Amino acid sequence: MARLDIANVSKLFGSTKAVDDFSITVEDGELVCLLGPSGSGKSTLLRMIGGFEKPTYGSMTIDGEEVIHLPPEKRPTGMVFQSHALWSHMNVFKNIAFGLKLRRLPKAEIERRVEAVLELVGLSGYGQRLTHQLSGGQQQRVALARSLVLEPKILLLDEPFASLDQHLRERLREEVRDIQQRLKITTLFVTHAQDEALSVADRIVVLRDGRTEQIARPAEVYREPATPFVAGFIGQMNLVSGVVADGRFGHSAFNVPAAVADGPATLAVRPEALAIAPASGAGMAHVHRVTDYGTHAMIDVELPDGERLKSMMPTADQWTPMQKVDLVPGAFALYRDNGVIYRADAALALAKPARKTRSTVHA
Amino acid sequence: MTAVSQASARPLDQGENRRRPYGLLLVAAPVLLVAWLVIWPIVSAVGRTLFQRSDEGAIEFTLDTYLFFFSDRYSLDNLTVTLWTTGMCALLLFVICLPIALYLRFSAGRLPAYVQSLAIFPMFVPSIILSYAFIRVLGPNGMVDILLNAVGLPKIRTPYLTPWGPVIGLVWDNIPLTVLILLSGLGNVSNQAIEAARDVGARWGQVLWHIILPRIGNSILVALSFSVLGIFSSFTLPYVLGPAAPEMMGPFMQRTFRDVNDPQMAITQAVITFGFCIVFGLFYVRSVARNQGK
Ligand SMILES: Nc1ncnc2c1ncn2[C@@H]1O[C@H](COP(=O)(O)OP(=O)(O)OP(=O)(O)O)[C@@H](O)[C@H]1O
Ligand SMILES: [Mg+2]
Repeated sequence: MARLDIANVSKLFGSTKAVDDFSITVEDGELVCLLGPSGSGKSTLLRMIGGFEKPTYGSMTIDGEEVIHLPPEKRPTGMVFQSHALWSHMNVFKNIAFGLKLRRLPKAEIERRVEAVLELVGLSGYGQRLTHQLSGGQQQRVALARSLVLEPKILLLDEPFASLDQHLRERLREEVRDIQQRLKITTLFVTHAQDEALSVADRIVVLRDGRTEQIARPAEVYREPATPFVAGFIGQMNLVSGVVADGRFGHSAFNVPAAVADGPATLAVRPEALAIAPASGAGMAHVHRVTDYGTHAMIDVELPDGERLKSMMPTADQWTPMQKVDLVPGAFALYRDNGVIYRADAALALAKPARKTRSTVHA
Repeated sequence: MTAVSQASARPLDQGENRRRPYGLLLVAAPVLLVAWLVIWPIVSAVGRTLFQRSDEGAIEFTLDTYLFFFSDRYSLDNLTVTLWTTGMCALLLFVICLPIALYLRFSAGRLPAYVQSLAIFPMFVPSIILSYAFIRVLGPNGMVDILLNAVGLPKIRTPYLTPWGPVIGLVWDNIPLTVLILLSGLGNVSNQAIEAARDVGARWGQVLWHIILPRIGNSILVALSFSVLGIFSSFTLPYVLGPAAPEMMGPFMQRTFRDVNDPQMAITQAVITFGFCIVFGLFYVRSVARNQGK
């Protein structure tokens, strides 16, 4: 039940800017994912919220109260670390009860709350286990329970499942999402796995080198990436550099209408929006490789200049390596100076003239 | 099928059997050395104090020297002062070295590196040099006295030649090993475990008490056992810095042997000292075994 306000926060380690002028307001009960490649400042940001690092500049308030000067033990935040954070000299019960004991709650109350939270994370009856008698997934659940039992205003998760296998990770993140929604607890979740972010987040913050690239809902981050970096980082994306002249984006292989000012630009098109067709003439490109995924096929095509693009097609049947093909871009976007200058959804009279077309011009 | 698998299992077993003698040979040399240099002298010393030649020349079992030791006021005082010195040193070492080790573990940068070198430095100073340095600094008319005198303050009562003399010297001498062992123990306490504790609301004192100390219990035990064993039977520092009476067991033995010329009694004192060390040793082994069982 809390709202987190971060305003213009920067963190310098010596001369490295780990976080650069970051601002966000996380609403009550919202789950925000911090997503970015390694070294983009996700952990640093989370650790600043938890009180483990002090911002060099900026302010942070929780429910309107400035927390920047509070040490971690005084902050209403609960953090789940990536690993090795359970206290191995205590059993599961004591691990979870430790924070309650520090608050001098009565014994019966402590027992009741620990039992309740163990049940919440699906570990009823595990109280007397030692931490090394648990699997990796169970250990992370205990870590989660240890934070949840104190009913923090803000829950902070720093890649809590990174060391687990894919299946377990998927299951646990669903569980975390369920628990988070049931308790309506404001949550920040750090991950470098885009599928994780896309599947659990209310909003995603994409970070790169300590700077915010985009803050938006998952669908929007996927459909309308604000920068070429986001476009390339979330999902698969073909990025082609070219030049806009006379209302058309041109590249050696293809050429699409784009009503923007002349100049260099980068075209971004998702594999599912890039159709291919058997060449009508000489062909713009040739098929390099065909991968059949059963549900769909991924065709790697090579342009004359050696650049490779991915195209997603319903089946692999029609395509063979070295076959000459034409490219038919559907929805695409053009970027210039790290921003969107043009967005087109659906094919622009190139392949399917019958379909309604809509294009939007940004900036 | 069964026959085949048994047949294929047998050569492996034999291979293992064949390897065993080499292993034994490898450890034989050090074991023999230990037996010759340590075990045999112990057995022989115990034997020589318990079986003595009587006036008629026959060898007979006797507890005379032990009875004398434990009824002699002076010997008992020496034993007491040795136990007191050892206990006091252990306490001071713990109180001094734990903060140093904690500081070295949890701070970063240049300064801790210097502090560490400073803490390790006594290891490279032979105790005899250390003793004389001590006398020059804290002894009568030493540096401290001169400085105090220069600013018009009264003389200090020097710890030199009091039981505190050896305590100060021994503590200083044992700081490096103790710090190093504690530091290695602290290396096993992860930053995340500590941050997690602070996150659930533990203040520094509570983190130390509930998280750090339980995790380095073994290291504390090892560090204190090492220093206790060394201090209990130390010689040089108590000999140079300590009072003439009561004196610690090390100098006492030496004096009984050389000056009093009573080797029988000196050996008895050695056996008794050894007995105490064995008790410390057993206590240490038992605690470590119990902690590891946990
Ligand atoms: N204590 C520190 N001292 C100096 N530099 C640091 C420190 N902590 C982080 N950095 C630097 O700050 C930058 C951001 O680090 P951070 O750990 O926040 O990245 P991250 O996004 O969490 O990466 P990962 O996905 O690998 O965990 C990195 O360049 C890192 O080297
Ligand atoms: Mg990180």
